[in-house]
Parts: sequence; C-alpha cells; structure tokens
Amino acid sequence: MAVTQNQITNTAADGSANAVVDRLEPRGHSQRRGATGTPFTFALGVATIVSMAVLVLFGLFLSPADVTQGESVRILYIHVGTVWIAYVAFGVTAISSGMFLWKRTSSLVWDRIAGASAEVGVLFMALTLFAGAIWGRLSWGKFWVWDARVTTTAFLFITYVGYLAVRGLGGSHQQRGRRSAVVALLAVLEIPLVHFSVRLWRGLHQEASVAGTTKVKLENLMLFSLFVALISFTLLYVWLVMHRQRVLAMQDTLDDKGLDFALAARRAETEPVLESAEDV
Amino acid sequence: MLRVAALIAAKDLRIEVRSKVVTNQVLPFAAIVMVMFAFALDTDEVVERVAPGLVWLATLFSLLILVQRSFAIETADGATDAMRAAGVDPAGIFLGKAIALAAQLAVLEFVLLITAVVLYRAELHAGGVVLLVTTFVAATCGLALVGTLYGGLAAGVRGRETLLPLLLLPVVAPVLIGATRATEAALGTRGALVSDGWPWLGLLVVFVALFGVGGTLAFGPLIEE
Amino acid sequence: MDDIGFILATYIATFVGSVGLAWHYLRRGRRLAEQLPPEDKPWI
Repeated sequence: MAVTQNQITNTAADGSANAVVDRLEPRGHSQRRGATGTPFTFALGVATIVSMAVLVLFGLFLSPADVTQGESVRILYIHVGTVWIAYVAFGVTAISSGMFLWKRTSSLVWDRIAGASAEVGVLFMALTLFAGAIWGRLSWGKFWVWDARVTTTAFLFITYVGYLAVRGLGGSHQQRGRRSAVVALLAVLEIPLVHFSVRLWRGLHQEASVAGTTKVKLENLMLFSLFVALISFTLLYVWLVMHRQRVLAMQDTLDDKGLDFALAARRAETEPVLESAEDV
Repeated sequence: MLRVAALIAAKDLRIEVRSKVVTNQVLPFAAIVMVMFAFALDTDEVVERVAPGLVWLATLFSLLILVQRSFAIETADGATDAMRAAGVDPAGIFLGKAIALAAQLAVLEFVLLITAVVLYRAELHAGGVVLLVTTFVAATCGLALVGTLYGGLAAGVRGRETLLPLLLLPVVAPVLIGATRATEAALGTRGALVSDGWPWLGLLVVFVALFGVGGTLAFGPLIEE
Repeated sequence: MDDIGFILATYIATFVGSVGLAWHYLRRGRRLAEQLPPEDKPWI
C-alpha cells in the first residue's frame, strides 16, 4: 500500500482537520491550555503559586529575624526547601530506575519518571548550592566549607549532570533506560561512601568546627515558614515532574513514529519499482 | 566465569605487551604530570607535603587514559559485541578486563611512587611498608573495578568517550581521599602515624567490596546493545 | 543593608529558575503536542 504524501507530512493534514473540528466541538481543557496540562495539574499549579506566595510573604516579611543569625535565616527557608526536593528527586530517580530494571515492573514510564525527576533535581541541587553559598557567606563569611553534607551535595549535583549526559547518549529508548538506570543505582551506592569519606577526612581538621554553628533556634513563625517552604517546593516538584514526564512521553512517541514514517517512506520508494516490473 | 576472566585478562595483557602503549605513552604522561605539579606548586616544602596526594592524582588522570585504551581495543573490531553474541559471560568479561587494568595500574603506581621518592623527596620507611602495600593493592583493585565499569558504559560510539572523566572522577573521590590519607600515614608525611592509616584502608576495602559486587552485576546490562 | 541584597538575590534566583523551567516544559509540551494525535496523549 503506497503511503500518501499527507501521511508522511501529517501535520499539514491534521492541522487543517483540527481547525475544522475545533470550530465545531468545544475543546478539551488541555487542548486550550497546551498539551501536557490536565485539570489536576492546573489545580496543582494554582496551589503551588498560592503556596509560594505565602512563602514569600512569611519568609521575607512576616517571620522574625533570628536572634543569632539575623536576617540571613530567611535564606534557610529557600535552602532547606530546595535541598529537601533535591534529595527527594534523587530518591525518586533511584527508585524509578530500580523499577525499570526489575523485570516484573519494567516499563519506559519508569525511565521517563527517572529522567524527569533527575532534571528537576539538578535545578534544585544548583539552587541549593547557590543559596547555601550565600547563606554561608552571610553567616560564616565563607562561600564554601569542606564538610560532609556540603561536599556530598556538590558531588550529587555533578553525578546528576553526568546522569543527564548519559541519558543524552542516543540509541534506543530501552538502551537509554538501562544505561541511565544503572548509573543512577551506582550513584546510590556512592553517596554514603562519599559522605563517609569526607566526614572521616574533615574530622581530622580543626576547621570542621566552623560547620558546627548551624544550630538555629526555630520559634513558631519561623517553623511555620519552614513548613510552607517544604510544602511549596513539594508541590512545585510534583507539578514539574508530571509535565516533564509527559513531554518525554510525547518525545518518545514522536521518535518511534519518526522511525515508522521513515521506514514507510523507504518502502514506498521500492514498491512502485516492483509494481512496474510486474506490469511488464 | 573465572575461566573467562582469566582468558580475557591474559588477552588484554598480551595486547599490551605487544603494543606497549602503557609503557611508551601512559607512563611518560604520568611522569610529565608529576613534573608539572612541581612547576605549579613552586616551593619544595609544599610539594613534599602533598606528595602522596600528587601520586594519586597522577594515577587518576592516567587511569582515564588506561580505561579508554582498555575499551578501544574492544570496540575497534567490535570484539565485545562478538563475545556477547557468542554467549560469553559478561561478568567474566568484567572481571577479566578489571584484572588486566589492575595489573597495568600496579605498574604505573610503582613507577609513580619511585618518581615521588626522586622528585618530591618522599621517604619510605620500614614501619609503614605493610600499610603502604595494602593501600596500593586495595586502591588499585578499587580503581580497576570502577574504571572497567564506567569504561564499558562510555566505550564505543563517538561522543561517549568524552563522558568518561565526568562519570569516573566523582566516583573515585573516596579512593582519592582514602588512598592519599593512608599513604600519608604510611610515609609519615606531615607527622602522620602509621596507625592513623588503617581506618582509611578500611574505607578502601569497603569500596572494593561494593564495586566488586555492583560492577559484576551492572556490567551485563551496561554493555547490552 | 547588604544582607538584604543577598537574601533577595536568593529568592529571585530560585523563582527565576523554577518559573523558567516550568515555562520551558510548557512550551516544549505545546510544540510536541501539535505534532501528535490525541490518542498519543493518554493523560487527557
């Protein structure tokens, strides 16, 4: 069966067909809003924005400055929020990778969740390190300190970047999934190793005591701001991962379809020749 | 699995003996790195203080090249694919290549140690020999295992090899920390005592155990194409 | 107060980063969705 020109360049045909349909039928929610949205994510998005607004209100204005740290404690609301999400994202990536590799539950959906979570995680790791550096500058006068937690977070950030690079290596979706899943799980193995090595290492040096002044006395409003931060960033994380996962799903489908169309086009090139040979 | 490993290790080492890439290229590279450290760090006191660290840094940089080489010989003729298609146990391939890599690393580290004694005036003394030898053995095994694992991942298709340093160097950070501290203890650098070094050796052993098992399990899925 | 500058910078960077990523995802989604028929978008 010959493949028509329209089927190969399907956007042209579908575009015009959709335009006719749209005028006749009411459009669904996500068609109006853009493609990865659903009523649920819309509600989630609204909740996130509201939550963030509350966070800014309390974090920057309504909560008091700390007794010892002064205004710099306001950074901690952001910093703790982002580091919480960064580690949750890493955990989700690791678990999804495991689910992908385990024969009984293997599905590309897990691979896409792992990838989406890692991307969001990289952003939040970067924000964590940034906010942490600023906070360190304000509290101790240094942008950086070589203690276990900070170093492990930086290590995790680099590892994530490497993980995303591995996802971009190409090949089939299954290959991508397998490679990156293994990398993610190996990273899980390394994290405690790195943390422990740095802890042991810095334990030798007196300078480690600088990191000891991180105790913050949290009173009611400050604790509340912290909770708002945790909630806001969790909502944001879920929203981002859901959208990203759907984008990845569409990408994968398009890749597959692209291959199908390319194969069909190739077949179309050869078939007419056969037909004419039969005629003869 | 062990028989496969022995065969693969022998093959890799035979290729090395015939091509002499390590002796002619990697060792000189490592030596130059050691010299450049001295250029960069300027004063004798500084260089002597950090000598153990420099030895391990030079080892790590050379490891990148050794791993690339180890897998270049596979992908040149599609050897790994052929072995897998023939049903060769991937765990055996993993261990075999790791053993060969470890042997090459051992030679490299020995030369670097001598270089450190000569260039940086590092001092070996009898009390630290046991610690020194066990540290080098443990670190070598750890580096060989991890190198082979990530080498397998990064090998082959163009655009993948450049990924190796980014993936491998963060992973070997615990080895760098542990091996350097243990070596400092063994050599008595900066007044370190030999007894200080044993916890670090413990860390290295844990590393070897984790990646020995993890690598053996992970290598199969990784080279599946 | 110098501190306030740093604090605001942190909040702004965080929101710019988050909103930027969100915007990027939404745009990618819209562009991809134009090329796919509804049966390929099971979440709708």
